[in-house]
Amino acid sequence: MAFSGNFMCTSFKKELLYGVHDFDLANGDTFKIALYDNNASFDASTTAYTTSNEVSGTGYTAGGGALTNVDPTSSGTTALTDFQDETFSTATITARGALIYNTTPNTTSLSVTNPTVVVLDFGGDKTSTAGDFTIVFPTADASNAIIRIA
Amino acid sequence: MSFPALELDLNPDFKVEVHTTQNRGFTPEEVAERCADKIISISDSANPAIQAQAHAFRKHIVKVLEFYMREAIKSDRTTVYNAIKDSGNLELAELIRRL
Repeated sequence: MAFSGNFMCTSFKKELLYGVHDFDLANGDTFKIALYDNNASFDASTTAYTTSNEVSGTGYTAGGGALTNVDPTSSGTTALTDFQDETFSTATITARGALIYNTTPNTTSLSVTNPTVVVLDFGGDKTSTAGDFTIVFPTADASNAIIRIA
Repeated sequence: MSFPALELDLNPDFKVEVHTTQNRGFTPEEVAERCADKIISISDSANPAIQAQAHAFRKHIVKVLEFYMREAIKSDRTTVYNAIKDSGNLELAELIRRL
């Protein structure tokens, strides 16, 4: 029972083909990032947000923080999208990893609730004390962006 | 005729960074560094002369960002000062102004 790396959820890949997720900034879905302690056990088979082992503390509300989408784009033959960095302000929390999930999926063709996108492993416990806890996403390019279709 | 499969997965080297603070917020310098990383990335395999130019440009960008972040902080503090003053908490407003 522990984080064991970063994973793109297999269910997310299938859901893309059903048109479940929209990453558009202006009109897209609302994606959230929820933080977890190291008792959480997530991998590519994780399908939905859960409150089990979610962190708690000042400056953090169950469900996590809403992410700001970045309009999908392309670079060469790779399509990609990104999120703006997310900060939990004046927070006293310790987290080992996170789930990004969609709170407003398109369920026209597939019935899903809070479907997950990726599992993020911070590589160790990260703590803020009455301070800022910021998740910094990698450079949004064809080699590093968090979601890329090559 | 076969078609190449679309690849959709995380890069094996993929990682998110987590930056935290204890009993304070991020300084303008810290935020400016993070911001500069979003604006400009410098390839290790680029021509050394171009790398040097890019590093110089990045350094300049960081300084500009720091300056305007401080301007924004000062201006926001003025707004906060006035909001607190208008609510009748003159002492607290003065403490904010002196930060």
